[in-house]
Amino acid sequence: MSASKWAVVGLIARLVVGGVLITAGASKLSSPPEEFAVVIENYEIVSTDAAEVLAAFMPWCELFLGFALVFGFMTPYASVFSGAMLVGFLGALLSAAARGIELYNCGCFGGRFHPKPAFTMVMDAVLLAAVAAAFRHGSALWSLDKWADARYTAARKP
Amino acid sequence: MTRRLVGAALVVACALATGFAARGAAAKPAAESTEAFRQKGAPDAKVTIVEFSDFECPACRAAEPSLRQVLSVYGSDIRFLFKNFPLERVHPYARRGAQAAECAGKQGKFWPYHDMLYDRQDEWTNPKVDSFLDQYAKEAGLDVAAFDACRADPATNQPIDADKKEGEDRWVTGTPTFFVNGKRFVGGRQLQERGSRLIAKVLGK
Repeated sequence: MSASKWAVVGLIARLVVGGVLITAGASKLSSPPEEFAVVIENYEIVSTDAAEVLAAFMPWCELFLGFALVFGFMTPYASVFSGAMLVGFLGALLSAAARGIELYNCGCFGGRFHPKPAFTMVMDAVLLAAVAAAFRHGSALWSLDKWADARYTAARKP
Repeated sequence: MTRRLVGAALVVACALATGFAARGAAAKPAAESTEAFRQKGAPDAKVTIVEFSDFECPACRAAEPSLRQVLSVYGSDIRFLFKNFPLERVHPYARRGAQAAECAGKQGKFWPYHDMLYDRQDEWTNPKVDSFLDQYAKEAGLDVAAFDACRADPATNQPIDADKKEGEDRWVTGTPTFFVNGKRFVGGRQLQERGSRLIAKVLGK
């Protein structure tokens, strides 16, 4: 595939992952953090105190990373952190499944939309592939990275 | 460098705007009061627990043991208020449960009826709901004719709707939601673990 086609793939991947993260963060913030904390508690991985802290911060992390990806700002870093979050979600889902914990709500989109854990695992895997594409090619087209670097590159030209 | 800063500002501004727009208006403060029959404990207790609950909600039933334990440990030091928050989009029988409990309350039997609705939730939440509600009324020793007349009276919905409105104003979006001296806890586990710590701290125990 040509470089320009990979650039389009990178752009689409960036927009998809960014869009999902923004939707997930905004959905969670539309309900009190204590409600998302209940969902985290159901995984039985962290204490109720830690769940409260995670519930307060995670939606904001999703929003910042989501917009960074949509705008193509520090795309490689945003991709790595988004990938780490997705690996964390996938690990939590697999851990719950291995321990026989039946999750009524994966918690991905707060209380508004309750995808089944199996659907969420597939979605996370697809998003991880998209994150890899965004990491490698996400800055190449219509990105703030390119806009910022263009000036830097132009300034260095003899 | 300037373009990087502009980019960072754009990302931060969009994230903050989206986040605060999603959160909507801040919860409005509320006076902690309700019908006398839906309250337990001393009016001047140091700790007030308000529960927004739905009689058909499985999580509310699951939270009952935690709530009952908290009330049994700190009962005399706590004022407890029950408020209706029927989630009718997902629980089609919740309002009828709430109406029945209101009518039991008017005959002085709110709490026994409340306990029966939770303890037998699997039994009455189906199309035969009315016959079960009447059966529980008989078991609770209520005047069933007056109970049925009360359930059919549209005015019975007024306090339920008022509770629902208050819950929405306080940003209650799910049940059970507890407020312990105004601090929110959702579900039995949060109430039992973090809520109990707050109660013990307030009471100095």
